Amino acid sequence: MKRILMLFSLLLLTGTLVIAQTVQITGTVTSSEDGLPVPGVSVIVKGTTLGALTGIDGRYVLSVPANSQTLMFSFIGFRTQEVVIAGKTKIDVTLQQDVFKVDEVVVVAYGTQQKRDLTGSVASVKGDAIKNTPVQSFDQALQGKAAGVAITLPNGVLNNPPIIRIRGYNSISGSSFPLVVVDGVPIATGNFGITASTNALSDINPSDIASMDILKDASATALYGSRAANGVILITTKHGAGGKTKVTYDGYVGLTEPYHVFKVMNAAQYIDEKNAARINMLGPNASLITQLTDANGNPISTNWADKVYRTGFQHNHAITISGSTALTNYFLSVGYSDQQGIVRSNNFTRKNARLNIDHKVNNYLKIGANIGYTNGYNTSPQVGADYATAASARLAFVIPPVLPVYNNDGTLNIYQAGIGGEGEPFGNLGYPNPVVVLKENKFTSETDRLLTTLYASITPFKGLELKTQYGIDDLTSETTFYYSPINGDGQSLNGDVGGQIRKFRRWNWSNTANYTTILAEKYNIGLLAGVEEQRTLDNASSYEKYNVNDPFFKTYQGSWTNVAMGGGSMGENYYISYFGRANFNFNKKYFIEGSVRRDGLSGLAAGKKYGTFFGASAMWNASNEKFVEDAIGSIFSDVRLKASYGKVGNSSAVGDFSSLFLYGSGLYATAPTLAFSQAGNADLKWETSDKYDAGISFSLLKDRIQAEINYYYNNINGLVLSVPQSPSKGIPGGTIPANVGSMYNTGAEISITSYNISKPNFSWTSTFNFSTLKNRVTALAPGVTEIFGYTGGLEITNKTVVGKPVGGLFVVETRGVDPQTGRRIFVNNAGKEVEFYYEKSGDARWQYKDGSGNAPAISQSSDGKIMGSGIPSIYGGLDNNLAYKNFDFSLGLTYALGFELYNGSKAGLRDQRWWNNSVEVAQTYWKQPGDITDIAKPFWGDNISNGHNSLPQSSCIENGDYMKVRNISIGYTIKKLPSVTNIESIRIYFQAFNLHTFTNYTGSDPEVSSVLESDANRNLAPGTDRNSAPQARTYTMGLSINF
Amino acid sequence: MRNILKISVAFLLLLTIGCSTKLLDPVPQTSLSDLSVFDNKDRIVAQVNGMYAAVKNGWYLGGRFQSVADLRGDNFIPLSNNAYVNFNTWNHLEISATMEVNDVWNQIYSSINVINVFMDGLKTNWDGGKLKTILTQAEYDQYTSEALALRAMCYFDLVRLYAKPYVQGSGANPGVPLRIKAEKSAGGNDLARSSVAEVYTQVLADLNAAEPLAISSYGDDVLNTTRIHKNTIISLKTRVLLTKGDWAGVVTESAKIVSANAPFVAPSGVANTLSASYPAIFTTNTTKESVFTVPNTDINNGGVQSAITWYFSKDSGEAYYLIGTSAVYAAMDPTDIRRSSMAKLSPGGTQPDQFFITKYTHFTTLQDWCPVIRYAEVLLSRAEAIVRQGGSVTQPAVDLLNAVRTRSFPTGAYTLASFGSAAAFYTAILQERNFEFLGEGMRSFDLMRLGLDIPAKPGLTMGDVGLIASSSSAYVWPMPSGELSLNKLLTP
Repeated sequence: MKRILMLFSLLLLTGTLVIAQTVQITGTVTSSEDGLPVPGVSVIVKGTTLGALTGIDGRYVLSVPANSQTLMFSFIGFRTQEVVIAGKTKIDVTLQQDVFKVDEVVVVAYGTQQKRDLTGSVASVKGDAIKNTPVQSFDQALQGKAAGVAITLPNGVLNNPPIIRIRGYNSISGSSFPLVVVDGVPIATGNFGITASTNALSDINPSDIASMDILKDASATALYGSRAANGVILITTKHGAGGKTKVTYDGYVGLTEPYHVFKVMNAAQYIDEKNAARINMLGPNASLITQLTDANGNPISTNWADKVYRTGFQHNHAITISGSTALTNYFLSVGYSDQQGIVRSNNFTRKNARLNIDHKVNNYLKIGANIGYTNGYNTSPQVGADYATAASARLAFVIPPVLPVYNNDGTLNIYQAGIGGEGEPFGNLGYPNPVVVLKENKFTSETDRLLTTLYASITPFKGLELKTQYGIDDLTSETTFYYSPINGDGQSLNGDVGGQIRKFRRWNWSNTANYTTILAEKYNIGLLAGVEEQRTLDNASSYEKYNVNDPFFKTYQGSWTNVAMGGGSMGENYYISYFGRANFNFNKKYFIEGSVRRDGLSGLAAGKKYGTFFGASAMWNASNEKFVEDAIGSIFSDVRLKASYGKVGNSSAVGDFSSLFLYGSGLYATAPTLAFSQAGNADLKWETSDKYDAGISFSLLKDRIQAEINYYYNNINGLVLSVPQSPSKGIPGGTIPANVGSMYNTGAEISITSYNISKPNFSWTSTFNFSTLKNRVTALAPGVTEIFGYTGGLEITNKTVVGKPVGGLFVVETRGVDPQTGRRIFVNNAGKEVEFYYEKSGDARWQYKDGSGNAPAISQSSDGKIMGSGIPSIYGGLDNNLAYKNFDFSLGLTYALGFELYNGSKAGLRDQRWWNNSVEVAQTYWKQPGDITDIAKPFWGDNISNGHNSLPQSSCIENGDYMKVRNISIGYTIKKLPSVTNIESIRIYFQAFNLHTFTNYTGSDPEVSSVLESDANRNLAPGTDRNSAPQARTYTMGLSINF
Repeated sequence: MRNILKISVAFLLLLTIGCSTKLLDPVPQTSLSDLSVFDNKDRIVAQVNGMYAAVKNGWYLGGRFQSVADLRGDNFIPLSNNAYVNFNTWNHLEISATMEVNDVWNQIYSSINVINVFMDGLKTNWDGGKLKTILTQAEYDQYTSEALALRAMCYFDLVRLYAKPYVQGSGANPGVPLRIKAEKSAGGNDLARSSVAEVYTQVLADLNAAEPLAISSYGDDVLNTTRIHKNTIISLKTRVLLTKGDWAGVVTESAKIVSANAPFVAPSGVANTLSASYPAIFTTNTTKESVFTVPNTDINNGGVQSAITWYFSKDSGEAYYLIGTSAVYAAMDPTDIRRSSMAKLSPGGTQPDQFFITKYTHFTTLQDWCPVIRYAEVLLSRAEAIVRQGGSVTQPAVDLLNAVRTRSFPTGAYTLASFGSAAAFYTAILQERNFEFLGEGMRSFDLMRLGLDIPAKPGLTMGDVGLIASSSSAYVWPMPSGELSLNKLLTP
C-alpha cells in the first residue's frame, strides 16, 4: 500500500511539468445520419490524455503541443475517428454511427474500459434489451441474454428472486448468487419477504438501467476479492446526455395467465377411479363416494384450478427527464408498476423515483449523486412450492372435484380447519377450502429502499482521478400475515396475525486513485489503487397475536386475546479492503492486466480475518499485427486471443458469527433457559476459487459478425460445507461449517452477434449465445460421503456425492407396472425386482416379482440411486431484432438441454388417497392382467405405488429439455409528428412474454424449481418440482413517447 | 494549483484511514458466548432449565413422543391421513426415511448433547474452582442429578422406541448408540449401536447415580411437577425395571415411594399420591399425582402439529379418536369417568360417532401440559410386579390396582376372587393401564415390553391396519435414514 502511495505522489509532482509550446485547434463535429452537431464528443490528442469535449453546438477548442500528430474523436454510439493534424488549425469531422457497436464502453470493477480492450471475460447487456419486459425485476429479464449466465424463474408467482448461476454452481452450503453492484455499491440481494416474496432486486426499476455488465472470470472479478467467486453483475443507472432536455413516457398494459395448469379428473372420473380403489382395498362392501348435487339438483364437479388461478391485469408507467449542460447532466425518473399475478390475490406494486446528477464544480472537481427511492408492495396467498396444505398451487389440483365451494344452504363448505367432506368416506381432508383461504388470508410484504451513492472526484492533472464515493443501501421491509379464524391454518388458533420488520442498513465508502497515461504514443498504462469499507446491519423483529376477539379484526393493531412470543434476529458484518489494479498495453496489440485485493471480514475468527485475492490476464490483438492483417485481414476484421487466471473468494457461507460457540436463551414454560446452540469453527475461512479462462474473439465481414468463444475451468477449493454431523451427536442444527469440500465447473461459451442486414430502412440483428456446463463435486468432508437435498423439508430428492454434479436426483429405480399383477416394480440395491402390495400388512407388503416371497421393505436410503441431474449441461438464448421502416419486430428464445427433473407433483397427482389425480390416472389405471400402463392397480390409501415423499421413485424423473419463446414483440414508430406537438416520436407495440414452451416434460413447467434461492438448500436440490405454481404467460400493449 | 495539490494530498490520506478494527470484532447481541455461561448462578439455573426445555421440545416430550407411542398401538383412528401428523406411524408404514422416525431421534439426541455439554461444563468449572463461590455442594449435586436423570430418560425412551424390547433375547439385540460425552466439534460421526442390555445398564447407572444426589423436594408444587426430584428418579426406575422385566427391582424401588397401605402416598420427599379426581390431574397439572409433567404455556409449547393437544383434542382436524366399537372404549364401563368424560362428535353421513379424550383441551393455545410419569403408573407397576414376582395374585396387589381403578370407576372394585389366575390379573392390569393412560404415550410400549403382538385396528375411511406380529420388522421403529447416512458403524 505504501509503495502505491509513493508512486502517486511522484506522479503528482511530475504532472505539473507537461505543457510546453502549444497550437490551438478548433472545429465542429456533426453526425453523418442527420448532419446535426454532436455535443459531448471527446477530442483527444492520440497517444496522450490531452483533450476537450464538444459543446452543445458541436464545437470544440483544443490547445495541443506543436508536435502533435493525430486527433481522435469518440462518442458513444459512433465509431471513433482519427484525423491527422498536419498543421491544420480547423478540423471539422463527421462521425459515422457505430452500427456494429465495436467502440462500446463496458463498465468494469471501479471503472470503465473499451470493449475491445477487455482482457477479462465480461458479458454486457444494455438496458434497452430488457426494458418493457413484463417482469418485476431486471434479473428475471436477463434470461438467455448472456453466455454463461443461467437464470431460472422458480414459478409464476410474482417477485420471486430467480436462481442465477454464473458459470455453474460455485458453492454448496453458501450462496451461488452473484454479487450485484449498483452504481458502485454492492447491494442487498435475495428475498426480503416471507410468505409474499420480495426480490430485493425489484427495487430497481428496469427502465432506469443503462447497462448490466456481468463479470465472469477471475481477471474481471478479482477486485471484488472475497465476494467475487459467483461472478459480479454491475448495474449502471442512466445519466443525462445530449444537451437538450429529453422527456420520455413509457407505459404498457397487459394480461397474464397461467401457462400450463394440470388436467385433473372431474367428479365423474374421480368417483369411478376412487371407488374402484376403495373396492380393491376394502372389499365389495366398501362405502362408496357418491355424486353430490347442488341446490338445483345438478351434479357437483368443481374445477378447483379455476378458483385458484385467474387472468391478471397489469399496467406499468415510467417518465424520465434527462439532459445536460456544459457543467451538469441530470436524469430524473419516476415509475409506477401495478401487476396482478396468475394466482388470485397475488399483486405487486412499485413506486419509484430516481435522480442522477453529475456536476463539474470547476476544472478539477466533479461531484455527483445517484439517488433512488423505491416503495414496493406485494401481496400473495400461500403459494410455497412444497407441502403446506394451504399452498395454492397444490390446492388447485389436490382437492376432490366432488366437493362444492358452498353447501346447498349457501354456507361455506368447511369443517374445522379443512374443507367439508366429513360425511363422505374421506375422513377429514385437513386441506382448507381454497376459496376461503385465498379470499380471507392475507400476506403482504412492503419495502422502502433508499439506494444512494454520492461522489466527489478530483483531477489534479490529466490522467489522474482521485475519487471518494459513499454509498447507502437502506432497505426496510415489513412482512405481515393474517390467517383467518374461519378455515385453514388460522382456524386452530382462532385467527392469527403478525409480521416482521426488517431493517437492512449498509454503508460503503470507497476511495480510489485512478491514473492512466500513454507513453511514447504506444505504451498505454492504467493504474488503480483503492481502499473500501463496508458495514452492514441486518436486524429483524417479529410480532404475532392470535385468538381474535371479534373476527372483524384482521390486523395486529386489532383486539386479540393471546400474544405469541416475539422474535427476530440481529446480524452485522464489516469488510475492510485494499486493492489495486495495473493494466498495460503496447500499441493496442499486447495487453496485460493484474488485480489484487486484500479483504478483512468480521465474520472470521480472530487472527484469521484477512485474505488476499488476485487475478491476471493477457491478450494478444492479432489483427493489429501486420502479418496477420495481410494473411486473413480480408475476412477477419478483428482477432484476439486472451487468457486469464486468478484466485477469488466466496464469503457467503461465512455467517456473521460462524466462528463462535454460542448459547441461546429461551423458556421452559415460564423459566428462562440457556442451552448450547451453535458449535462454531474458529478455523473457518472463505471459499476460494481458482478460475482459468481462455478465449478467442473475432469479427468477420468488417465487424458485421462478431463472435467470442471462451473456455473456462473453475476449481473451488476449501468449499465451506455445513458438514453434517451424525444426528446422534446432537450438534445444534446438525452441522458444523468447515472448509473441506471441493468442486469444479467447466464449460465453453459461444456468443455471436450478427448484423445480418443494416440498411437505413431495414435492419436485422441476431444475437445467439450457447453455454455448456459440467459440474463435478471432487471432495466432501472426511467421513461424509453424501449430502442430501430436501424439498419442503419433508422429501429427500437430491443427493450430492463425489464424482457427480451437485444435487443429483436421488430416487428408487422403478420399472413400470407389472402387466400381470398391476403392481409397481421397484428395484432393490441387489438389482432384484420387488413389487408392492399396499393392501397387505407387515412384512408381506413387499414381495419379489419372481415369486420368491417376502422381500425387505424398499427404502430410499438403502435402495435409492442417483438417476439424473437437474443442472442443464447446455443453455442459452437467441434474439432476433428486425426493423423495417417504421416497424420493428423482435423474437427472443431461450433454451436449456441435457438435464432431468424430479416431477414430484406427478407423484401427488397419482396418489391413491382422496387426492384428486391427473386425468391420465382415470383413463389408464390398471384393471386386469395384461394391461400395459404406468398407473398401478389402485388401492384406497396407497401413497407408495406411484411415488411418495419418503420413497421418491424414478417414474417421476423426466427429461427437462426445453426451448421457450420468451418474448415476441411487434412495434410501430410514428416519427414525423407536427412540430406543435413537440413530440419526437411515438412507438406503439404489442408483446407476448413466455408465449410457448417446447418440451416433453409433463410437469407444470421445465424451468420450475421447488427450491428457491432463499432456501438454505438452494445448491443442493436443483431440478425438483413439487407442487410448484406454473409459469405465467403475459401479453402486453405498450406506448413510448419521446418529447 | 497549490489548492489542488493540498486537496489531493488530503484525499490521499483518506486512502490510509478506515480500518476500524473494532468493527472487525462484533459481539453477537442475541446469544451468549460459551465462555460466560457459568459466570453466575442465574445462568447455571438457566442451563438446568435449558435441559428441560430441550426434552420438552414438540418432537419429544412436548407431544410427538407420547403421540407416536400411543398411535403405534391399537386404540386410535386418525381423522386425517396427513403424513405430517404421524399417519405413517399409525399405519405402520414407518421406514427409515419417515419424518418422525428421524425427527424424534434427532430431538432426543440433541437433548442428550445439551445435557452432556452442561454436565461437562458444570463438572469442569466445579473442579476448576470457578463455581465454589457460586454454588453450594447441594446445588451442584442437585443439578448433576437432574442432568443424569434426564439423560437416563432420553436413552430409555430411545431404546424402547428404536430397539427390540428387552424381553426379546434378554437385551441382546442391538440398541442405540450411547453418547455420554459432550459433542462440540466435528469428527466422531461413527458409533455402533450398544446392545439393548448395555443401554439399560447405562440408564439404570445414571438413575442410581442421580438418586442420592437429588433434591427431596422443591417445596413448590410447580417445581415438584416440572423438575426432577428424588421420587421422580425412583418412579422412572420402576418404569425402566418393569419394562426390563425385573419384577424384584420394581418391588424394591416402588417400596421407597409407596406406603404399605391405602391411601397410598410416598413416605419421603414429595408426598406423591393419587389425585382424588381423574380430570383434575389434567386441569390443575400440579397435583401430587403428577410426578413429572412438562409444562406448557400459550407462548411456549410443542407447537402446531406436534403439541399433544393437536393429536387428541376434538377441536383438531388432525386428531385421533375412538369409536363406540373400539376395543378400549367398549371395554370401559359407561360410568367410568375415563370414558364418560370423552367428547363426542357426530360427523354424519356414513361415519360413526367419534369419541375424543379430554385430557388436552386448549386447542387454540396448545398450553396443555404433557404428563410424563404419574403416581398411578407407579402403583400399577408395583401391583403387576408383586404378582409377577410371586406368581400369584395377592390382596396388596389388588388394592394397588383398585386404588387407580375405583377412583374413576367407583363401582368397579376387584376382589381377590375376581382373578382366576395370575394371567387374568395381568390382563386386568394391562387393560387398566390402557384405560388410565390413553393419550399419554403408554399403549404400544406396554404391549412391546411383554413381547405381545400389536393387534389389528380399524381405520374406517383410512383403511384398516392388520396385526403387527412381535417378530415383524414394523414392530419397532427402524434406524433413521439421517443417522444411517452419516454413522457408518450403525447397523439398520
